[in-house]
Amino acid sequence: MKRFLLFAVVAVFISPAFAGAGESGTEILKNRCASCHDLKGPAPQTIRQLWKRDAPDLFYAGNKFRREWLVAWLQKPVRIRPAGVNYLRNINSTPPENQKTKSGRKFDVLYGKVLKPLKHATLNKAEAMAVTDALMELKPHYDLVANVKLDTTKKVTLDQGEVLIDKVYGCQSCHQIEPGYGGYTGAELYTAGRRLQPEYMLSYIKRPRSWDPKIWMPNGHVKPADLQKIVNYLILLSKEDFDASN
Amino acid sequence: MRLIKLMFAVAMLMFIASPAIHAEEAYLNYKSYCMQCHGMHGKGDGVNVPAMNILPRDHSDNKYMMSRSNTEIYKAIKFGGPAINKSVKMPAWGDTFTEEELTQLVGHIRSLCCEKELVRGVNFR
Repeated sequence: MKRFLLFAVVAVFISPAFAGAGESGTEILKNRCASCHDLKGPAPQTIRQLWKRDAPDLFYAGNKFRREWLVAWLQKPVRIRPAGVNYLRNINSTPPENQKTKSGRKFDVLYGKVLKPLKHATLNKAEAMAVTDALMELKPHYDLVANVKLDTTKKVTLDQGEVLIDKVYGCQSCHQIEPGYGGYTGAELYTAGRRLQPEYMLSYIKRPRSWDPKIWMPNGHVKPADLQKIVNYLILLSKEDFDASN
Repeated sequence: MRLIKLMFAVAMLMFIASPAIHAEEAYLNYKSYCMQCHGMHGKGDGVNVPAMNILPRDHSDNKYMMSRSNTEIYKAIKFGGPAINKSVKMPAWGDTFTEEELTQLVGHIRSLCCEKELVRGVNFR
């Protein structure tokens, strides 16, 4: 009995639920997230400021993310951008001709911490809910999504969507539409529909600059009809189960 | 007289220093936006390339780059590949760069491909 009591006391002490019970979502954000994530804005205005970014900006999280996804991700964080948030920190150049490695690599390669699983604080369910509530309050860019609406009548099949992403607008050069299929420097697209609000996707693709002035995503001048189709495709794509096919 | 000398010195300094500053800005822009596909040394071997079906231009390829005018390079950056009958994989960066940055980038690309010609003072048009 004594041993059981001791065990129970120890368990309560080391359990993160206990440790986090006193903290509100905003406090958790302030204490544990603010050192890497920007919670106040504005987004970096010069390229030098942008290269100092360690983690995605969260000051417009309420305009950006879907609540369900945030709750789940905070409990089990995984990497979303294969080359990291600041890709230049995580690439290595092609070796010179006379120093070719055995693998015979011909291109710049990813290196460093992006090759290992993401290091990110993991929250328990209660904390994740609290933090998500706090994040969803952060909505400074209401103006950018106010007049944007997803037109679900502009349906596309997976194949048609892939043609748009790969051949028509060339998004796949930087973004992956399947695990391991596409470029590395952009965020993965096969989870985008689950991660992001449709209005955010529409507005961001239309003009990335208005959200993040110096980001290395170009304005693809996507036609309005194609924009709707692309976002519908991303939502359709995120419903695919990629683990099953691999 | 002293003041005039000082002003002259400052003017000289600005004249010497300003191209260097431009070169640095252009290099920083190249590094931030172009390197992901054109590679760390501009050889068209960027980190994203293995997934591509059309390879990015090797900016150190003197022979090819000399067959292109500055206007074409400028157009390719500003309006994307299709503007000069090339692939859509080269996106339009007109919304990202100012006119000044675009011209500086063209200069930077020239310094990657055609240093000898730059020294000789070739007119790239």
